[in-house]
Amino acid sequence: MDLGFIVEAMPRLWPGLILTIKLCLTALVIAMAIGLPLGVLRAELGNGITGRALDSYVFLVRGTPILVQIYAAHFLLPMAGIKLDPFWVGIVALVFNSAGYQIEIARGAFISVDHGQGDGAAALGLTRWATLRFVIFPQAVPRMLPPLANEASHLVKASSVLSVLAIFELHKAANAIISQSFKFLEMLAAQAVLYLAFVLALTQLAGFLERRMHRRSGASMTADLSIR
Amino acid sequence: MIDIAPKMARALLVTVAISVIAVAASVVIGALFTGVRMLGARWARWTVIAFVEFTRGVPPLVHIAIIYFLLPEAGLLINEFWTGVVALALIGGGYAVEIFRASIISISAGQTEAARALGLPPKLSFRLVLLPQAIRRSLPPLTNELANIIKASSLLSVISVNELTKVANDLIFVHFVVVEVLIELTLLYLVIVGILMLLSRHLEARFAL
Repeated sequence: MDLGFIVEAMPRLWPGLILTIKLCLTALVIAMAIGLPLGVLRAELGNGITGRALDSYVFLVRGTPILVQIYAAHFLLPMAGIKLDPFWVGIVALVFNSAGYQIEIARGAFISVDHGQGDGAAALGLTRWATLRFVIFPQAVPRMLPPLANEASHLVKASSVLSVLAIFELHKAANAIISQSFKFLEMLAAQAVLYLAFVLALTQLAGFLERRMHRRSGASMTADLSIR
Repeated sequence: MIDIAPKMARALLVTVAISVIAVAASVVIGALFTGVRMLGARWARWTVIAFVEFTRGVPPLVHIAIIYFLLPEAGLLINEFWTGVVALALIGGGYAVEIFRASIISISAGQTEAARALGLPPKLSFRLVLLPQAIRRSLPPLTNELANIIKASSLLSVISVNELTKVANDLIFVHFVVVEVLIELTLLYLVIVGILMLLSRHLEARFAL
């Protein structure tokens, strides 16, 4: 392996990595803003029309490959008269995908909070909104963090598939260098290391947030245990 | 939509064939590596941990590229179909290790202790007590894994394996019909993955301990 070539190619891989990071963080934030509230809504709603509609959306996202979703965004957005540049087409596809998974994450964390908690709050005369705000959310949000960290690393890996469009993220940048220089071993190793580093950084960050949240809610958690 | 159905059906068979072979292979890889991960020497354990972290931390598309470029380099010349199978089997293997390990760990230590207290030697208590419970617990996540592999097999279109997504994409560019092909493509994936999700839920209910 030609380590010198990796160093030499770095200035050309770097913009790819930056674009990958931009794509992932933008998509993650937008998908959180859409998916998490919808997930809570899904848990609050019964099996009405809205609930069913959300279920079918989640099923559609989880039942089809990300590649198909990217093709769909690429072909269908212009047909619907929405002309976006490739970056935003990619964002739309990633958000469509990630929001579906995040609905499930928020719903799962929400319904995992013991039923008695909500009943107890209601019995104490708290309104539904106050119950959510002061009783359910403080317990549900820390439970969302580990699966959200998982989802973030999924998103990083999914972003590599955007290379089928004209988006010069990390994988496409590396592929372009391979097809020019045919130094595939070097470029494969370099991009694998960069992806690993990004995913590891995300999981470390999530671990840090988790520990911090546990420390902050430590007092209330011991109180909770002493009641039982 | 009906005109393209035979082509799509044939491509669907390729997708299913690749995924089933890959999952079968990944179960074997997963079982072997789980054994090494839990019982092996320190260096062997760390090799498996590195392999698992690598498969889970690097995008499947990069794995496919690695296998696609490196197999011929290693003197293994096989066609795209089998290149795809190797790539998916290795990715699946990494996830299978974690599935098996989680199911074994999740069986309480009390089970083994009780078996030992009843006089079963360690090997027998592993085979007769721990393993049957671990296997039934790993079935639902393995079904999920099959669904994931089917979805990941769409990525093999980049190395021109004639699976479902590749054929659909070609059809779009030959006939310039976009919506019909995309709908049919989506429906086909939804049907297989939907069946697997139902199966997984069914197994989970049946094998719940």
